[in-house]
Amino acid sequence: MAAIGLEHYLTVAALLFCLGVYGLLTKRNLVAILMSIELMLNAVNLNMVAFSRFITPDAFVGQLFAVFTITVAAAEVAVGLALIFSIYRDRATTSTEELDWMKW
Amino acid sequence: MSAGFPILTTILVAPVLGALAIVLLPREARQTVKYVAAFAMGTALMLALYCYFAYDFVRGGMQFTESVPWVPELGVTYAMGVDGLSLPMVLLTALIGFSAVFSSWGTEERVKEFFVLLLLLLIAGVVGTFLTRDLFIFLLFYELVVIPIYILVILWGSSKRVTKEYAGMKLTIYLLVGSAFLLVGVLALYIQAYPPGERTFLMEGLAAAAALGHLPESFQVPVFFLLLLGFGSLISMWPFHSWSPDGYAGAPTAVSMIHAGVLKKIGGYGLIRLGIAVLPLGAKYWAPAIAALGVVNVLYAAFIAISQRDLKYVVGYSSVSHMGFVLIGIAALNVVGISGAVANMFAHGVMSALFFALIGYLYGQTHTRNMDELGGLAHQMPYAATGLMLAGMASLGLPGLISFVPEFTIFVGAFARFPVLSVLAVAGIVLTALYTLRLLANVLFGPRQVRFDHLPDTGGPALVPLVVLGAVLVVFGVFPALLMKMAGSGVAPLAAILDGIALAARMGGGL
Amino acid sequence: MDLSLLTTEIVTVALACFVVALDLLMPAGEPRRALGYLTLLGLAGIFVHAFTQYGLNASLYGGMFRVDDYAVFFKQVFLAAYMLTILFSVRTADGFAPYTGEFYGLMLFSLAGMMVMASANDLVTLFVGMELMTITFFVLVGFNLGDGKSSEAGVKYLILGAASTAVLLYGMSLIYGYTGTVVLPEIAARLSASPAALVGIVFFLAGFAFKIAAVPFGMWVPDVYEGAPVPITALLAMASKAASFAVLTRVFLTAFADAPYNWPLIIAWLAAASMIAGNLAAILQTNVKRLLAYSSIAQAGYLLTGLVAAGPDGVKGIIFYTALYVFASAGAFAVVAAVRDETGSDDIAAYRGLARSSPLLAAAMTVALLSMAGIPPLAGFVGKLYLFLAVLEKGWFWLALLGFVMSMVSVYYYLLVVKAMYLGEPAGAPTADGCAALRWAALASLALTVLCGVYPTPLAALASRVAQNFFQ
Repeated sequence: MAAIGLEHYLTVAALLFCLGVYGLLTKRNLVAILMSIELMLNAVNLNMVAFSRFITPDAFVGQLFAVFTITVAAAEVAVGLALIFSIYRDRATTSTEELDWMKW
Repeated sequence: MSAGFPILTTILVAPVLGALAIVLLPREARQTVKYVAAFAMGTALMLALYCYFAYDFVRGGMQFTESVPWVPELGVTYAMGVDGLSLPMVLLTALIGFSAVFSSWGTEERVKEFFVLLLLLLIAGVVGTFLTRDLFIFLLFYELVVIPIYILVILWGSSKRVTKEYAGMKLTIYLLVGSAFLLVGVLALYIQAYPPGERTFLMEGLAAAAALGHLPESFQVPVFFLLLLGFGSLISMWPFHSWSPDGYAGAPTAVSMIHAGVLKKIGGYGLIRLGIAVLPLGAKYWAPAIAALGVVNVLYAAFIAISQRDLKYVVGYSSVSHMGFVLIGIAALNVVGISGAVANMFAHGVMSALFFALIGYLYGQTHTRNMDELGGLAHQMPYAATGLMLAGMASLGLPGLISFVPEFTIFVGAFARFPVLSVLAVAGIVLTALYTLRLLANVLFGPRQVRFDHLPDTGGPALVPLVVLGAVLVVFGVFPALLMKMAGSGVAPLAAILDGIALAARMGGGL
Repeated sequence: MDLSLLTTEIVTVALACFVVALDLLMPAGEPRRALGYLTLLGLAGIFVHAFTQYGLNASLYGGMFRVDDYAVFFKQVFLAAYMLTILFSVRTADGFAPYTGEFYGLMLFSLAGMMVMASANDLVTLFVGMELMTITFFVLVGFNLGDGKSSEAGVKYLILGAASTAVLLYGMSLIYGYTGTVVLPEIAARLSASPAALVGIVFFLAGFAFKIAAVPFGMWVPDVYEGAPVPITALLAMASKAASFAVLTRVFLTAFADAPYNWPLIIAWLAAASMIAGNLAAILQTNVKRLLAYSSIAQAGYLLTGLVAAGPDGVKGIIFYTALYVFASAGAFAVVAAVRDETGSDDIAAYRGLARSSPLLAAAMTVALLSMAGIPPLAGFVGKLYLFLAVLEKGWFWLALLGFVMSMVSVYYYLLVVKAMYLGEPAGAPTADGCAALRWAALASLALTVLCGVYPTPLAALASRVAQNFFQ
């Protein structure tokens, strides 16, 4: 069996990304949607780290990038949960079906 | 006056200064507002008259020129100058602007704003398009007038068959979308004429580029088409004409006068100044189409005018019909036809402005514009009746009034090139006679109607447009040379260009 | 390493911290307007200081951070946008008590993010700056606590924004993987035809098309604009769009300039779709904020034409138009804020009779809208002239024609607002007049819009010089 190479990582990342997009488009719960976005961001992280290891093993650009992505994703989730919380207080729901106070 | 005096800029600035003075007046000074407006326009008129008579038409070409670089990076120059093409238009604007002030003397609501918008933006903008030699500034002034017209129509207009909001919006959008095509055409011309760094918006510079052969026929044909869309919608060429009757019907009197009298003429002026002088090959390609559409204009609009009962619609469609003659004259592509077109634009401007001024007066008195409800007004209003008769007779081209010689000249020019179309267009004169005479008969003649007995005849300020415009109709009619010499000197420089394309280019345009 | 190059960013962040701290120190009951004026003063100082950075053309952090004329110009555009916005938002901000200090602080943080974006010369810096801006905007959009529309807008913006960021990042990761670098000039040197590069570029473009609100990625715009507090809507429309254009232009003209794909064609389609859809959808709107939202989609389309031209003239057009779009939008949103503050509504009906109650605001709104429509002699006309001249020069005849025609169509819906202001009778109760600061903002917008239209030479000369940045 061949060693695990770059293409394996990229395939997994692409699948993960597609999974995230699928969740984003089909989920009706705001928290689940946030989780789907996290999946997409993690696919990116996987890409970055794999490229860093296989393409530029001497520089840590990709890993650095991944660290930034993780941080930013955390911030995004924090703000996102706060906003969802505020929505929940207004309408006691976290479903996107209820986000209809304005024309979508 | 010394040679260095910027007389054209003064013509442009006089209404602007008048408007600034009005802005500073208190709101209650309604009468003073009108005096200031009249004075400002009077100054502009005097200066325009001076230019007209001081212009050396033997020498020809651009005179009273001024030139200041404005946006050097783009090649935009604040360049002023008049020749035999633009001078009649400048004089026309001043005449009609002056008359329009007096026609609006009875304005009651928001007097101050009305005169500011009318004077500052509309008249100054229109006169600016004719005074400038720079294409950029031409476009700037042209688009500048559209928005004030919109506001004038929706605030002071009248709703009859269509609401004034609809009329104003329709007029604005037609003209603006037309101008979008125009803009693209002009920019393409600007880019094609010279390489970067040497570019200019000066019209003589662009014409020189055409003479140098920088503009191949394959370029001229589509660009002329764009210009035709823009200028054609402005001159109400069929099928882009429908804003015109609705717009005039909704607009206040003064705006109808300026719009039908001068603004429309920018289309014809642009076609000659830009279309023929800069893009002669394109003009030649599209000339048959223009002539055919011109004939459609003449006949189609005349037929519709016959079926109209509203006075403003009759005159509105009549102005569309008359513009057909102008288009045919331009399409003739010979010196005779084009100078006839220039002269006819002047003639029609004076005549339609007088028409609208008097219709406005009648409407103000009788509160109706429906000719079935009017009648016998010659008994109560002899002066107004005289004015309407003058305008009507000029409209159907009676010899001795202003329109006869220009229209005749157009047919002489056009017959050489489009014999069949010209004959059809001459038939249009019969239709013109039909609706004009019917209008006059319905409104002025017939038994005296008692309910109009208390109405006063035109007098005081309202008499001014009648006297000024009526005098022009007669004087230029009796001495046609006053107008034809000027138009001829303006068109003369085109002779070389027209000879040049007579052999070189092919004809096309689908006909 | 010369940290003085970072003065603008450092001072902005310091100012943000200072404003928040001062807000904490001030006694609870005291009015917070001083915070706004203090912020304004600080930004004015930074604005003036930025003039000294022209001509430096220096790099920091091994080429990751560029202080070139282009970056400095855009920073000044952002600063101008923020100063005008703060001027007209002091009264709106009063309504955010007790979080007024945070409001100004967050605004300043988003400004710092934009500044980093303007200077970013590699993908990581770019990403960090962009997220600093975006995340603060997520918060600011939902800042109207207790207004369900505001938090709804915040959530919508967050979901779509985060998703677009993920797409953008995926594109970036592919570009990085294919070229082995994240620094823009090095990407340019190593990019060649490959599926990875193509997908990377397309994802990158899609991510940024979201930020600049180009069709079909701009469907978030109407809702978010409607729900967000007016000053934030204004900043999203002018500053956020300007910052995204700054990045998009820099990336496409340095990193992707020689990519073996016909990307100008794709951008031309985006531009055309934005101009058509934005303008046509705007016609149907009855809410002025939504109307301005669709109009801002159309404006993104006009700006994109400058990128299609992909040359100094196009960049100059983008730069010039961005600046005057800021001037015009500031005026329009100042009036929206005034009407909103006093009538609580954004409907066109609420603008009836504005010309009588406040001629200045009505005039400012008219001038701003007509400038966006491109009516001479206002600045928008000259701006569109530069943009469309640039594309015409490159032979994009249909795009220029479409642009002009759609501009004139846009006059229709702008005039609906103008008509309401001048023709309608006031609905009843006192109509808007705005506070003094707001009127100053409106006046400044009006003056700048007219001035840049009548005498564009100084700004155009600066724009030409700045546009040379990528073409030396």
